[in-house]
Amino acid sequence: MDALNNLALGFSVAFDPMNLLYVFIGVVVGTAIGVLPGLGPTATIALLLPVTLTLDPTAAVILLAGIYYGSMYGGTITSVLLRLPGEAASVVTTFDGYQMARQGRAGPALGISAIGSFVGGTVSVIGLVLLAPVLADAALAFGPPAFVALMVLGLFLVTSLGTGSTIKALCMAAVGLLLSAIGQDLVTGKPRFTFGQTSLFDGLDFVAVSMGLFGVGEILYNLEQTEKVQAFTSKIKNIWPSRKDLKDSSGAIARGSVLGFFIGILPGGGGVLSSLASYAMEKRRAKDPSRFGHGAIEGVAGPETANNASSTSGFIPLLVLGIPSNVVLALLFGALLVHGITPGPQMMTNHPEVFWGVIASMFIGNLMLLALNIPLVGFFVQMLRIRAGILVTFAVLVVMVGVFSISNDVFDMWVVLVFGIIGWIMKKTGFDPGPLVLAFVLGPILESSVRQSLLLSGGSFTIFVTDPISLTIFIALGAGVILGFVGRGRRRLVANKQEKVAAE
Amino acid sequence: MFTNRARSQWPRVIPIILLLVGVAAMIGAYQLSLGQLNQPGAGLWPFIVGAFLTLTAAVLFFVQDPSECEQWNRRALGIVAGLASLGLFIVLFQMIGFLIPAFLMLALWLKTFGEEPWRLAVPLAVAGAVVMHFLFVVALGVPFPKDIVVTLFSALGV
Repeated sequence: MDALNNLALGFSVAFDPMNLLYVFIGVVVGTAIGVLPGLGPTATIALLLPVTLTLDPTAAVILLAGIYYGSMYGGTITSVLLRLPGEAASVVTTFDGYQMARQGRAGPALGISAIGSFVGGTVSVIGLVLLAPVLADAALAFGPPAFVALMVLGLFLVTSLGTGSTIKALCMAAVGLLLSAIGQDLVTGKPRFTFGQTSLFDGLDFVAVSMGLFGVGEILYNLEQTEKVQAFTSKIKNIWPSRKDLKDSSGAIARGSVLGFFIGILPGGGGVLSSLASYAMEKRRAKDPSRFGHGAIEGVAGPETANNASSTSGFIPLLVLGIPSNVVLALLFGALLVHGITPGPQMMTNHPEVFWGVIASMFIGNLMLLALNIPLVGFFVQMLRIRAGILVTFAVLVVMVGVFSISNDVFDMWVVLVFGIIGWIMKKTGFDPGPLVLAFVLGPILESSVRQSLLLSGGSFTIFVTDPISLTIFIALGAGVILGFVGRGRRRLVANKQEKVAAE
Repeated sequence: MFTNRARSQWPRVIPIILLLVGVAAMIGAYQLSLGQLNQPGAGLWPFIVGAFLTLTAAVLFFVQDPSECEQWNRRALGIVAGLASLGLFIVLFQMIGFLIPAFLMLALWLKTFGEEPWRLAVPLAVAGAVVMHFLFVVALGVPFPKDIVVTLFSALGV
């Protein structure tokens, strides 16, 4: 069994004592920062990127992955206790989780989230082990045109499935592509848009850009919005859910795992889409849908499971095809690139220890989260008392100094500041920085694939139509865009009608 | 009424800026030489991307929903001031090293954004600056610009 051998290799890497330590640190730091007010998963990962540059690639990705799902879980804690979702995907958890907490059932809500996340994550890891090699084999047959098509599809899906307006997201994707073109052209060696700055010769630093947009930008935005966080004082009891709770939510967890896994494979599908879909599914299936929104445990278990399942299976497009499906994965993608590893079909053969090590570490990390949750939730709740103002001040200074330490260049500090301003203005004007960063990461690869395609075809764009795989993807994309427009138009019509009826 | 209208129109500036950036990118890319399609030059890709940005920005100008944007308010002004202080921090950091600018920045932010009283903000800022100096310079060996405080102390023989 090939899959078993691979998994054995993965576990031998993940059980290396240092790597175990990094999983542990990642999970704990991720949870802690996810709980802290004002810092979500993206901000956390962006802030800690410079730290990981000193580690070897496997350890770096293991640490970042741990922070990723750790901070997701941290977001769950604040969603349940304070109705403060750390990021979009936990918004769904606030619907019923917060209601459960108000009824004195915060413990079971957190417990079932941890169990659901563990099950969802595990199911996804198993699916990943089975599906990834098959997909990678298929992807090896892809030529440059097919990769161009895949990346365009990925960018389109992220822009249309994300939050906010599609045209704005496309605009930001264009800006990201343009920014990634800054620096020396790899083929001709000509400097592009460097304005005589030697620091720009190697292009804008990915870490500095993402730290600016997500670190500083989001911190500033949250600072502006400050709502006073009310202290959570009551004690949390009975984290382990009762037998009835488990029975009530077992179906939701099972459905959430499968649903989350498949949604996560789609580019742009992770996170919020999966938790929303699971919530809708559970509500539709329920005998008494009116309980939802009033503390139904299935409404917590399903979405939390689906969220974690999809964030794990999101690693499939990232590691196998080299297409990050959401912003956090784009940051991981960037971290891998900095370490000289290009995620893609060859990764499994060229860097099997990284690939399978990370996958095995995710399983261990989920187990650790489950184990840590029970003794440490009290400690994490205490962290909610730290005042946001103090935290944010120190975080900003750490960002500034941290980015300097990457290449000891003050120029990077200015990059962070400028992108912090841009990120803040984008937030204020309803632009999502996600597509920008994603496009920034994909830009150089997309460009070289386009160039290779043009070379192959002798300068004709028809290669994207004559290549069967590329053609299939573009047809699917076109159909999706058309369907999306029709669907939106219909929804708008219905909404208009309803408004008219309401007005009359 | 007029001021309200003017205020709700301010987001329209953004597609215009993006459009100008797109056009500028296309011009810049053209000057870099586009090459031939079968022999792409350095400017071909930026030109395509610039055209894409110009197009999307133009569409955005017409379909943008200004209600998605937040209004400027007092707190936003505070943020602008905070950003300016960060710029000042970078300049000073380059000139006189880490300790004094870090202390000033921490104290200012803790007082204004954290709304902490001075008697808490000042000791926290001192402690924060010193701890981070030791963490980054002494423990991690990051070569910060020459620090006048450190120079002074070593001149005094401390």
